Order: sequence, then structure tokens, then C-alpha cells
Amino acid sequence: MNPSILAHESPQGAVQHLSFRVRQARYALPIELVREIIEYGQITTVPMMPGFIHGVINLRGNVVPVLDLAARFGFERTEAGNRTCIVIIELNLDDAQQNIGLVVDAVDAVLDIEPGDVEQAPAFGAGIRTDFIAGMARDERGFTIVLDVRRVLSLDDILQLALAQQAG
Amino acid sequence: MLNENQWSQLLQGFIEEGRDLIKQAEEYLLLLDDTPHDEEAINGLFRAMHTLKGSAGLFSLTPITHFTHHLESLLMEVRDGLRTLSPAAISVMLRCLDEIASMVELIDVSNGTLDVDDAHQAQLLAALAEHGGQVPAVGASAEPAAESGAPREGNWHISLRFHADLLRNGFDLASFVRYLSRLGEIRFLEVIDDALPELAELDPESCHLGLEIDLQTQASKAEIEEVFEFILDFCTLRILPPDSALSDYLALIQALPETDERVGQILVASGLLTEHELAESLSAQAHVADGAPKQALGELLVESGRVAPQVVDAALAKQQSSRERKASESSQIRVAANKLDELINLVGELVISAAGAQLHAQAQGNAICIESTQVVNQHVEQIREAALKLRMIEIGDTFNRFHRVVRDVSQKLGKDIHLDIHGADTELDKSVIDKLADPLTHLVRNAIDHGIEPAEERAAAGKPAQGNLRLNAYHESGMIVIEISDDGHGLNTERIREKAIARGVIEEQSNLDEHAIHMLIFAAGFSTADAVSDLSGRGVGMDVVRSAIDALRGSVEIDSTRGVGCTFRIRLPLTLAIIDGFLVNLGEEFFVVPLDMVTECLELDDVQLAGCKYGYLNLRGKPLPCIDLGAHFELPASNSKRRNIVVVNFGRQQAGLVVDNLHGELQTVIKPLGLLFQHLQGISGSTILGSGQIALILDIASLFRQLQQNVDSNPGELRSTKPHQDSLGS
Repeated sequence: MNPSILAHESPQGAVQHLSFRVRQARYALPIELVREIIEYGQITTVPMMPGFIHGVINLRGNVVPVLDLAARFGFERTEAGNRTCIVIIELNLDDAQQNIGLVVDAVDAVLDIEPGDVEQAPAFGAGIRTDFIAGMARDERGFTIVLDVRRVLSLDDILQLALAQQAG
Repeated sequence: MLNENQWSQLLQGFIEEGRDLIKQAEEYLLLLDDTPHDEEAINGLFRAMHTLKGSAGLFSLTPITHFTHHLESLLMEVRDGLRTLSPAAISVMLRCLDEIASMVELIDVSNGTLDVDDAHQAQLLAALAEHGGQVPAVGASAEPAAESGAPREGNWHISLRFHADLLRNGFDLASFVRYLSRLGEIRFLEVIDDALPELAELDPESCHLGLEIDLQTQASKAEIEEVFEFILDFCTLRILPPDSALSDYLALIQALPETDERVGQILVASGLLTEHELAESLSAQAHVADGAPKQALGELLVESGRVAPQVVDAALAKQQSSRERKASESSQIRVAANKLDELINLVGELVISAAGAQLHAQAQGNAICIESTQVVNQHVEQIREAALKLRMIEIGDTFNRFHRVVRDVSQKLGKDIHLDIHGADTELDKSVIDKLADPLTHLVRNAIDHGIEPAEERAAAGKPAQGNLRLNAYHESGMIVIEISDDGHGLNTERIREKAIARGVIEEQSNLDEHAIHMLIFAAGFSTADAVSDLSGRGVGMDVVRSAIDALRGSVEIDSTRGVGCTFRIRLPLTLAIIDGFLVNLGEEFFVVPLDMVTECLELDDVQLAGCKYGYLNLRGKPLPCIDLGAHFELPASNSKRRNIVVVNFGRQQAGLVVDNLHGELQTVIKPLGLLFQHLQGISGSTILGSGQIALILDIASLFRQLQQNVDSNPGELRSTKPHQDSLGS
């Protein structure tokens, strides 16, 4: 695609986000974190990890861990369906670049979110832990929850859970 | 001009060179500590300091140039025999080297600046001046003079013309002449100042001088040349052997830039030529045929009948071989470690994809295709081995570092300890060596601090006063073994046991054998030293050693005999990148057991374990604890009818792993699982199979440890605790 067209399409100041669905709610992530979106399949289970870690996949020779967003939010573990996808994001964890796959129910669209359209998260009622929410983006279809990926994928948090799992 | 990037790359190069030079200098210094008059070491040390100073000067790193200059001048005096190095001076110089090393590390690569602790440096320099060494009582020149009657001696003629840059490169002419005088007696010396310009045009930093020297000595030509080794680039050196033929002098006269008469007069003045000879030869010069081919020096010498042909041949051969050695030294290439890692990663991918191709070919059943993939696989295997060899380095460098550690620590404790190094040429992966330095240092310090007794105690026990510490490395069945042994008093089994009971590490009634008790020192927070010294004894050491070795997939063993000594034996895989594994599966999932831990495989009789998660079997009359891996990992229950047991051996523990199917050996590339899984017990990494599926690599050591914790905290979970404790608990 021609970059100038892209620039024309996205209004000044807007940040592009990838929106996807987990259960019934819509969530979004800044698109600069997203590396690719792949089909759900061939996951190797890693034992003794919390339920929201499905395991690891072979992404062109790299071993990439896969997290179930729904289970991380406290819902039932995702049973893969037709539209289930893995969104591969690249994060800087503990000074190391790490690819992580997120299991989502379906990928929606790329949204241009104006900073002005983002509201603070409500104290409760969003359905997931408030500290996972970076903000609520408003558009004609309602609200999209913009995730705070660093919180969702907090290593400390996950390690605590994993250790609890091993001890149990 | 260089751009910024190139500049910082050059600077990076200097920093690496600096590290090497400092390491070399340290080795030479320690050598001098043992043999204070080793000329080679003094020269080597001087050369290292000089190179460092020169390179630092290129980058305008004034603090380093300045500081190194002091060391260099001191060494120059040592080399000239004006001083000797006392042990105290060596200690100060070692500290100075540390300071230089820290300066090199402090260089800011981005802008080439350097902050230094001036006060500390001034202190060091003062100490250096104080301990710098003593002027030896006997003058250096006395020695050769005493032998002046030797018949082989003759007057060498040395003719030097210095380049203008000489002084700017930090050389002092006088020091070379002084050094030369150690080889023999300078009979005649004339300073050639003909090239000196008018005073108004004189640049005081340029050197315009030349020297004509007659030296009476027994030294060989090479030895004389060596004196000027450092300035060979900055001067024109001509050396004529004693009693050279007239024609040689003539050639010299013609080669020198000054007028023939001027040089001729010098030679006459020195007594090498008579006035008559000079006049004759100068007039004869005109008659020399212009077309006559120049004879090589060697031929000339033979012709003049002073040197037998075979001597010349031998000298030529020697020259040739030293040239070849130089060539092989310089044929080494420095490669950034990350480039090597990238290559090895790619080779790893190649191994996986080649295995995949072979799998597909076999599925197709096309004979030609299978054959060609087999050939490809063979080559890939060779490439893999060659690539891994690139990372292999000798352990000697790491071992040599301990000379310094042993010296420092034993001095601090007032013990006399000799370090003995064996197997320095044993090779292992660089990444393993890097991670090994800390645990080794711990063990060495411990051996000096706790192992080797003070001299009085040693004397009382009938041992030599000098303690002996031995580092040894060798290969054994695909692993590298590193031994740290001392001849001290060995581990105190009783005290370890008491301490372990006091700290609650073991129960009072527990009945452990001696070896098991020794292994307790690796438990966290365990220290038996009564006094906490600043070297060791805080109880943080040994468990750190253990975990560092575990992280390298290695094991450690203790052999201790009371009163005789103690040996720590570390076994490590040669590389961290590749593992020889044994592939098994549990339902859908594949697992790799490190092959060196597998001792045998058995078929499982269903009745024996009766579907329990843990249990034990009778293996040739001994109880073998077994773990149903699938149940332990909480994988979906398998419906495989015939199950198998893989018997694994780790240290002195043995256990059976119940798995579904055995798939045989494979050699595979280890892929780290990443941060998310770093605290996972029982699994150390992953690998990608030819089919593209991921298999997890079992970490038997941490699996055993986790089971052990479970046994301790929750014995009821296990069907029968007794056999487990016998085998897993030790």
C-alpha cells in the first residue's frame, strides 16, 4: 500500500489500533506492537503453567509462548473455533525482545483512535481487571477497551501464578 | 576523516586490544613473581605496556598514556638492569594494571572520553615510586667486561640513522645505548649530527641524529637487533659482524646518507679500517663493474670463508620457520560473538529443516530422494560440528586468571600456596566458560581459605609448608570435567552434620552416608566457617556454585578425605547450543531426555504401578522409584497400551520415567523457552522436531529436586515414601 494514502486516511494525532473480540467484548492494542496474526493450531502444551498459558508454538523456527487472553481475564479457557486467531506481539520484557502470541476469539479491524476519544476506565463493570485497561475508546459502535499490555503480560504476575501452580 | 561510527568502532577495537594486553601483562608479571630475572617476561611486559601506551595515544586517551608511561619507564629501567622487581613492587604493579584495566573499561565509546580517579592514581604512582625496585649493587657492565678475554669476541659495527619521528613516539636514544651496553662493551661511539638543520629551523621534537657504534660482544646479530626491536620502524639499522670484509664496509659507506668521506673517516677513527685501506677501496670503487650482480649477504659470507654453508642454511631455515609461525598467528580472525551465534542459530535451523526433508522423503518412499536427503544430512552434520568448533576455546585462559586470585588471596591470608594447572588446552564452549568463571573463583577461594591449613598446622600434620592447589580439566565421554583439588584438611563431616542439624537442613536422626553429608554444603545458607572472613564464609557461596552449575546442565561431586585433601569435580556438557537427546512421547506431546542421563529402557508391566502417579519397581533386586510423567505434568491420560520406562541416572540418583513410546536418539538444537517459563521446574528448554512440532527438553536435575521437595512437604501424596527417599532423597 502507498504510505501517503495511509497517512491521508489516518487523521492527525490518531493512533492505529488492532481491534479484536474476546468473548463478547471488543478490545484493542496499538498496532505497532503487533507483528502478525496467525491461525490457531499445533500448540505444544507446557506442563505446570497457569491455565491461561496454552503452551508454545513454532513460529518459523522460533519458539513462541501462547497466552489465552480470555483465560487471563478470568473467563473459561478458549476452545478453538473457526475464527480463533493468535495475535503475535513483540514486547520488551526485562530488556529482552520477546514475541508472545495472544489467543483471541476473532480479529476485527484496524481502528484509528484519536487521543481525545479515549476515556478513563470505569472503576468497575468493564468485565476485566481495571489495571489491564489503558483506556476506553469511544466510536459509533460503542466502547473498545484499549489494553495495557504490560499489565496483562506482567512477568511478575505470571511467575507468581506459575509458581503457585507448581507448588499445587 | 572518520565518521563517528567508525571512530567508536576503532575505539571498541582498542578497548578489546587493551583488555588482551592487560591480561598478557598480568601473566608476565606473575611469571616474574616466580622467576624475577626472566628476560623474556620483562620484555613481554614492556612490549605490552608500550603497545598500550602507543594505542591509547592514538585515541588521545591522555590519562592512560600518562599512567602507563610511569610503568613503562620503570620497566625500561628493569630491562636495562638498573632495577630489579621485588615482590612488593610486583604487587603494586598488579594494582596499577587493575587501575589501567578499570580505565579501559571506563572509556566512553560514544565520545572517547575517560573519567579517572586522580587521587587513587596518584597514590598508586607514589607506591610505585616507593617500591619501584632497588638499583642492584653490582653494575651491569661488570659482567661482560670480566669475560672480555673470550676468543670469539670481536668488534661489531652498528650504524643507526633515526627517523625524525623517533622522539615523538616516546623513545629515548640513550636508553637503547644503555641497554646495548649490557650486551658487551661499547668501544667506540660517534654521534652523527650532519643532518641537524640550522637552529632557526630546528624542530626540537624531531630527531636528526645518527649513531655509529663499535661494540665488543659475544652476542649474536639477532641479539643485537633485538635491542632495537621497538624502534626498528623508526630507524635504519645496519649491523656488520666483526672482521667484515672490506667490501662490506664499503657497501655500508655507500649506503649511508652522509658523504663517503665522512663515514670513511669514522670507520678509520674507530680502528675498523686503516686509512690506507679506505683510500684504496674508495679509489677501487670506481673500477667495480656496474653490471656485476649484487650478491646476497649469505653468499658473500660464505664466499669470504667465515661461515660454513650449512650454518647459513640452518639460519635461513630458522628464519623461514619463524616467518611461518608469524603467518599462522596472524591468520586468526577476530569475530564478534553475536555473528557466531547467528551462524550457529542458522545451522541449528538447517539441522531441523534437513531432518524435516528426510522425514518427508521417507514418507514419499522415493529411494533416490531418500538417498539425496541422507547425503544432505551428512553434510549438515559436518557443518554443524564445524560451526560448533568455532565457539570452542581453551580453558587455559580462565585457569590462568587464578594465578592472580591465588596470589592475592594467599597473601592476604598469609599462606604459601602453589597453583598447579593441568589440561589448559581442553576446549569447551565459550558461553560455558563465561558462566564458569564465578563458580570456579568461589571454589578456588574456598579451597585457599577453608581447605588449605596455615603453615604451622601443615607442619604438625607432616605436610610440606607450601600448600598445593590443582586445577585440572579433561574430556570424558562427551562431557568436560573440571577438578579443583587442594591438599588441605578436607571436609569436616562431623561439623557439617552438626551444622546441618542446627540449621534444620536435615533431621537429627537421619542417617546419611559421608558423601551425602558433604553434598549438604551446597544447601542454601550453609557455612561451617566459624569466623566470617571477607573472602568466604558468608554461606552464600556454595549454593551459588551449585545453581550456576545446574544452569549449565552440569553436576558437581565432592571427593574429600579427612586430613588429605578435597576435590571438587564439575562435569559440564561441552556446549549449551546442542543436546544429545532421547525422544519419547506422552500422548500428543514429545519430550527429550538428555541422552547422557539415560541408562536403560524397560517395558512397563501395567500391574506394577497400577496407574499410580509415583511408585517403585524392583530393578534387579533394587527398588527403582518411578514417576508417571504424564500424570506428574497433568497431561491428558494416555490411551497407549504398551508403556515404557526410561531409567535415568543423575549423580548418584536413579529413577524411572514412565512414558508412552520411545522414539530413539536425536541430536538437536536447544531453543530457550524464554522469560515466561524461566521458573519452570523439570523443563529446561525446547527443540523443534523435523516435523515442525516442538518437543520440550526435560531437566532431570530440577525434576528430581522438585520431587524431593514434594516428598518432604507432602509425603502422603506419594504411594510409598521409603524407596523414594532412599533414591531420590540423597
